[in-house]
Amino acid sequence: MSTSDGMVQYHFRDAIGGFFEFPTENARAILPPELQPIEPHHGSSVLSVMAFDFHDSPVGDYGELILSILVSPRVEPGVPMPRSAFFPFRLATTTRESREHAIERWHLPHYMQDISLTWERGDGHITIHATDRGEPIVDMRVTEHEWSNVDHRYQAFMNDEEGAYTSTIMMAGQFSENEEERGGITIHSQAMTGLVEDWDVDFTPFRELWMKNGLQTFHPLQTLASYARR
Amino acid sequence: MATRVEARTSMNPLDYDYSSFFYSSSDDPFSILEPYNEWFNAAVPEGYYLFAQAMSSPPSGTVDLTEGLHHEHVKLVNLSSYNYLGLSYRREVIEAAKAALDKYGLGAAGSPILSGTMNVHQELEAALARFKRKEAVMVFPTGYSTNVGMISGLMRPGDWVISDQNAHASIVDGAILSKANVRFFRHNNPADLEKKLKQTTGKKLVAIEGVYSMDGDECPLPELVAVAKKYGARILLDEAHSAFVYGANGRGVAEKFGLEDEVDIHIGTFSKALGGQGGYVAGSQNLYNYLKGFARSRVFSCALSPVVAAGVLRALELQIAEPELRERLWSNVAYMRGRLEEEGVDVGDSTSQIFPIMVRNDRRIFELGHKLLKAGLYLQPIIYPAVAKHRSRFRVSVSSSHTTEQLDEGVSILARVLRDEGILV
Repeated sequence: MSTSDGMVQYHFRDAIGGFFEFPTENARAILPPELQPIEPHHGSSVLSVMAFDFHDSPVGDYGELILSILVSPRVEPGVPMPRSAFFPFRLATTTRESREHAIERWHLPHYMQDISLTWERGDGHITIHATDRGEPIVDMRVTEHEWSNVDHRYQAFMNDEEGAYTSTIMMAGQFSENEEERGGITIHSQAMTGLVEDWDVDFTPFRELWMKNGLQTFHPLQTLASYARR
Repeated sequence: MATRVEARTSMNPLDYDYSSFFYSSSDDPFSILEPYNEWFNAAVPEGYYLFAQAMSSPPSGTVDLTEGLHHEHVKLVNLSSYNYLGLSYRREVIEAAKAALDKYGLGAAGSPILSGTMNVHQELEAALARFKRKEAVMVFPTGYSTNVGMISGLMRPGDWVISDQNAHASIVDGAILSKANVRFFRHNNPADLEKKLKQTTGKKLVAIEGVYSMDGDECPLPELVAVAKKYGARILLDEAHSAFVYGANGRGVAEKFGLEDEVDIHIGTFSKALGGQGGYVAGSQNLYNYLKGFARSRVFSCALSPVVAAGVLRALELQIAEPELRERLWSNVAYMRGRLEEEGVDVGDSTSQIFPIMVRNDRRIFELGHKLLKAGLYLQPIIYPAVAKHRSRFRVSVSSSHTTEQLDEGVSILARVLRDEGILV
């Protein structure tokens, strides 16, 4: 699944996401100072909760749950603009192999237990239940809107004790998004979500995203010099 | 194995919005200009930018304007302007403004706290205070500066401003400038307001609007007032789109609900129903005296032009003397609602003179806007991020000065284009 130019591809059946507002002071508490949270309203940042159902990847079949904060992308002259940018601060996967791969290759901050992800696919909606050894972590429901084939460019920013990095991520597939506020989330009190528990998250998503039969392509990591100076 | 996904080089302007261009990665402040202009220049030829088209006539039932794509001069039925009572071009208003021009000259030539206050400003404030039945009214040079000066003049770091999530930018910016803590409650949702108020301690200001400009819906004032009072919060009610229009005497949504004394701070503008420019704060004399020193957007701006102040004063007098203007407006609103319903047009949650014409198709709204222009109708497209994704719409503003024929023609054009384009079935 790796190409000669260092890109890595992950095929998935479904990827879903919900954007939830929460107070910006909680976002700033964990964001590197160089990253600015996106604020749909002054004082409100965005918690992104995403789940993937991968079926073909360098580490086989696995599921992934990602908690991120939406941040302003790095916009540079002459470089294609990302649609949006994320700072993932907590990931969990369903297999050890996928977890180790993501930590080593992408410096993604992981919850160190294998979790279980259950997908309920309904008529016009999809729900995931994430659990750790039977203990609930997150339940999230996303609804569909119009579908279209897209090829979107995103940025991710990673930060660990070794340094700070960014990567372009392409997402191609059948895509639906809406701001109809029909979905929802329950964030349970659990080790993975401990950080989020006191964030006063609004549990109605202002945006719901769903991609089917898609391909996620990670471009090679870039080290961020400005972070390294810190 | 799947083929490699190539980076996109062609840009779809609708994949981006202003938040994409807030920061750049360089130390040069100008480094954001090139990417932004790449986006802007891709948007314009696609017809994705229908704003700021120059008019060469008053904002009446029809307008002459230069359309933005091909720069052609066209005459259109106008359902876009705020001129709710048709006062901006009334002969009496123009004459009052001309007389003030002769008497005072063009501008105030000073801050209102220094040399910029003229007799006509004091007459306008006094007339408005009588009309609003408040101890004092303070006039500001724009509606925007009214909320900015009012909120930043009163609230302080550590205080709380709790605002409806759909509140106008001037409320948001006033709160930011005050450095108070800011929270937004879900639109028109008293339960969420209560949730937010429960989390706060200290001085609290709840900021809401009488009628919201994007959806044309009223606030549930009695319920919001009850919650705010329960938690000891002061209430700011911005009646930009409801003053001089709502209530038996035109004193706004607060009058309609009989809650004029429960609202602590009454905000309004002169640019909507009165067809002028400027804004006001109505409240107690103590509030007036304090703002005189602390409303920096007023203190450090030139006073409202005496020409505009005189025109606004005359417009206010006409609005008071001619309640039939409001009757005619509401009759037009009822007629418009009926015609739009007959045609099956989705107008969302509107209960006012503002009708959102829900297209719900972000990618086609500008194309439809051009087709409406070509067909003879001037309407403004509203798109994300001003409204939620997929809630793009055109905004119709009804005026008392619209004739039934103009309303009929506007609805006919609208329905025909929406039907031809498959938006209406």
